[in-house]
Amino acid sequence: MQIEKERVRIGFNPLTDCASVVMASVLGFDRRHGIRIEPSKETSWAGVRDKLLSGELDAAHALYGLVYGTQLGIGASRRDMAILMNLNRNGQAITLSKRLCEQGAQDGASLARLMRAQERRYTFAQTFPTGTHAMWLNYWLAAHGVHPLKDVRTITVPPAQMSANLAAGHMDGFCAGEPWNHRAVMDGAGVTIATSQEIWPDHPEKVLAASADFVRAHPNTSRALIAALLDASRWIDASPENRMAMAEIISAVPYVNTGKEVIWQRILGHYDNGMGKRWQDGHSMAFHQNGEANYPYLSDGMWFMTQHRRWGLLKGDPDYQAVAARVQQTALYAEAAELTATPLPGSPLRRSVLMDGSVWDGHDPVRYAASFAIRQ
Amino acid sequence: MSRNLRIVLIHPPHESDESERAHALQAGLAEAGYEVVASLPADIHLPEQISLLQPDMIIVDAESDARDVLEHIVIATRDERRPIVMFTEDETPSSMEAAMAAGVCSYVVAGLQPERIKPVLKVAMMRFQREQKLLHELEDTRHKLAERKVIDRAKGILMNKHAMSEDQAYQKLRSMAMNKNLKLADIAQRILDVEDLLG
Repeated sequence: MQIEKERVRIGFNPLTDCASVVMASVLGFDRRHGIRIEPSKETSWAGVRDKLLSGELDAAHALYGLVYGTQLGIGASRRDMAILMNLNRNGQAITLSKRLCEQGAQDGASLARLMRAQERRYTFAQTFPTGTHAMWLNYWLAAHGVHPLKDVRTITVPPAQMSANLAAGHMDGFCAGEPWNHRAVMDGAGVTIATSQEIWPDHPEKVLAASADFVRAHPNTSRALIAALLDASRWIDASPENRMAMAEIISAVPYVNTGKEVIWQRILGHYDNGMGKRWQDGHSMAFHQNGEANYPYLSDGMWFMTQHRRWGLLKGDPDYQAVAARVQQTALYAEAAELTATPLPGSPLRRSVLMDGSVWDGHDPVRYAASFAIRQ
Repeated sequence: MSRNLRIVLIHPPHESDESERAHALQAGLAEAGYEVVASLPADIHLPEQISLLQPDMIIVDAESDARDVLEHIVIATRDERRPIVMFTEDETPSSMEAAMAAGVCSYVVAGLQPERIKPVLKVAMMRFQREQKLLHELEDTRHKLAERKVIDRAKGILMNKHAMSEDQAYQKLRSMAMNKNLKLADIAQRILDVEDLLG
């Protein structure tokens, strides 16, 4: 099989979950599959999208929702996108300001009570309007009876600025990826009021995204890329020692650029919420789970469209199944899984129960999107 | 009703707007005849500032992390007039012009050299003027419709009170307007006012 493009430029944002992209390159899993990954540190998700479309990047570590937002033309012109694989599950969180915590907001329910008792404008930040953090934040607020479009003001803030803005009292809370939530706890600026895995245990998070044009023109390179990242993901999840070594490498300046102590706690599942509670999390950030975490489930892709619909980012129902089938590269993934002896699930749909008890199994997305009491 | 294109520049949060880059760009824009209404730091107050200033165009570095913040603003205002967001980086002007013509709101130009921004500004200006023209036309149509209604109501009064036919009522309005040197809609409005006063 001829590799169409040997050097592959992969964009990433400085977050813990960019690990498999970095480790595939650092540990040489890329060369095993006949390619060379060149990780490229990016400064914004909008920039990642534009560079995928202009060809400046071949693939990227990207927010799930961003890919579907682009596919469906939310906020920019519509372009055909591809999701090659899921990069990780879990490991994001919602951080609340220390002030609100001291006033008695210790979880979602008490926050909602406090907000009703003390009426003012509450501001919450996330990282990208169509992205995963916006959807976790909206889902979590709504599950506690707070309307994310009416009862609070949501803004987008770059992750690295979250902790300082929280400490300065410019906002009340945020939803972002690690290490920024743990960082806010360490800074004394905020508390982890909820983890994303509490909202949806084993939720999909970042994906390996490319433009559909790239995948069409470079099927062999794309397959090799998935295979290299499957090997890297397996290596990260293989042992706590490997995770520690990963933290050491990705904390360096060219990657996440933070102290490794900020990263390693939560990737080992050691959580400290900043309110005196410490625990070993059973659903901390996962990179492989024997392939389960990497399979690009059609139901995962559709879920983001149902939430875009729920919050009015989509004005009508798309053809959920058809769009997901086009975007999720299940066939290419299956070939890469075979190359790396990665097990495949029995179905491209999976069943999940979210925090409010709602069941998502990929069937009847139109009904599911309309089923929420709080929606736009 | 015409006004200038209102441009906002965005600079890194810890960089003063007096930086050399910002200065060169601002000078270049001024020289080309464009007005920069503000140079804002890319901090948490950006969304509020932009909502206050309502710029027609925002210029930001393509590598700025404020781009996601702007993306949010563009999506949140997508049903209204939204600002054009222009990025400074590498791209050929021709493809930018094509993107602009297609109604795309974001494009990229090389560096911060004023001479590279001019072609984009030109197209942005064209888009802006086209939008303004459409707005004016809409306004005009609305106005004409409103006038039409007033005239119809005045005709109705004349027809009722003075037992005129529709054509006679219209001729009467015309001659009154000509005698008083007023527009047809104005004289019609006076008739309605009098009618209101007398009940």
